[in-house]
Amino acid sequence: MKHVYLNWAKAAVVSAVFVLCFSSVSSGQAKRPLPKKAAPKVAAKPALKVTLVDEMALKKLLVPNGRPLLVNFWATWCDPCREEFPDLVKIDQEYKGRIDFITISLDDVENISTTVPKFLTAMKAQMPPYLLRADDENTFIASIAKDWQGGMPFTALYAPSGELKYYREGKVAIPMLHDQLNKLVAAAATTLPDSK
Amino acid sequence: MTQKIAALISFLAIFAFVASSAVTHAGGLEIGAMAENFTLPDTDGKTRTLDELKGKNGTVVVWLSAQCPVVKGYKDRINEIAAEYQAKGINFIGINSNSTEDLNWVKSNIGEYGYKFPVLIDKSNALADKWGATVTPEVFYFNAKNILIYHGAIDNDRSGKTVTEAYLKSAFDATLSGKPVTKTKANAFGCTIKRVAE
Repeated sequence: MKHVYLNWAKAAVVSAVFVLCFSSVSSGQAKRPLPKKAAPKVAAKPALKVTLVDEMALKKLLVPNGRPLLVNFWATWCDPCREEFPDLVKIDQEYKGRIDFITISLDDVENISTTVPKFLTAMKAQMPPYLLRADDENTFIASIAKDWQGGMPFTALYAPSGELKYYREGKVAIPMLHDQLNKLVAAAATTLPDSK
Repeated sequence: MTQKIAALISFLAIFAFVASSAVTHAGGLEIGAMAENFTLPDTDGKTRTLDELKGKNGTVVVWLSAQCPVVKGYKDRINEIAAEYQAKGINFIGINSNSTEDLNWVKSNIGEYGYKFPVLIDKSNALADKWGATVTPEVFYFNAKNILIYHGAIDNDRSGKTVTEAYLKSAFDATLSGKPVTKTKANAFGCTIKRVAE
């Protein structure tokens, strides 16, 4: 039994010496300036991916998938677009799961991985983001709503049937949008059980 | 009872909001309508009129902005078209109706962008409201008799890289050769005019 204690004691001493040596080496290394490549890796948050779409792909995106669909056309260079964005993020949070909400940036394509995701990240926007490359801006604008004269922001709300129920050129009127959303959400809730 | 009154007030408030937002930029100048003479100050404070600035073969009134990137993208095309067609008797008049852009900013922007035509200040956006101008850049092209014959975009590509429809130039060429303008309207994509009421 005594031998066992001695062996344990020896092992503890050897381990302590080993740990001390190792830690001194480690601390010695830590004192030297680390080359950049050897810097401890922090798990980087994946960059927000903005999907590039053309007019054909946009048409498909604007088909509701069983829920009301809210679409906001915006650009980072558009002051009123940026001003209203926090309100839209709140709307997204409030109606999450009851509507689909996508954002379509009309920025230049070269901004798809720079200013556009940077702004959306700062806004904590969770709406699926797209950037439209329109070959013919006039045709695209007219295809969304006949009264849209091309100013931004532009917000459109579609019923699950695909019918355009509400749209607004310029900053959206939040009480009005709430009203329209509530109506569509309520209608969708009463329609769903019947359709099953 | 109180709830009913509150509901009625809410309804009326929403109705009033919708009605006001719906009529803000509604109407405007229609194709075929004649422009009435207007009076606005230029960037030096001098009073200018449409009658004084109009061209012998027509006039283009273009809404501009100092800060709008879409206008920036169009500035070279605007200058080229203006130079080319002013030589053919079609004069250009720039209008700035943005309440967010002060006179000094507008003046320095005119120098920076090199506009060679007068830019007038529509401080109360009265002209923009009257004609129904909503974005920058947006053009109104009148013939020699001040009849509106084209309204909207300059062309169909703000970048200028893939223009397939040069609406304004086509309208010029048609009228200068005595032909009717086939496309009289095209939605102008750009920055919303920052009105004083907003």
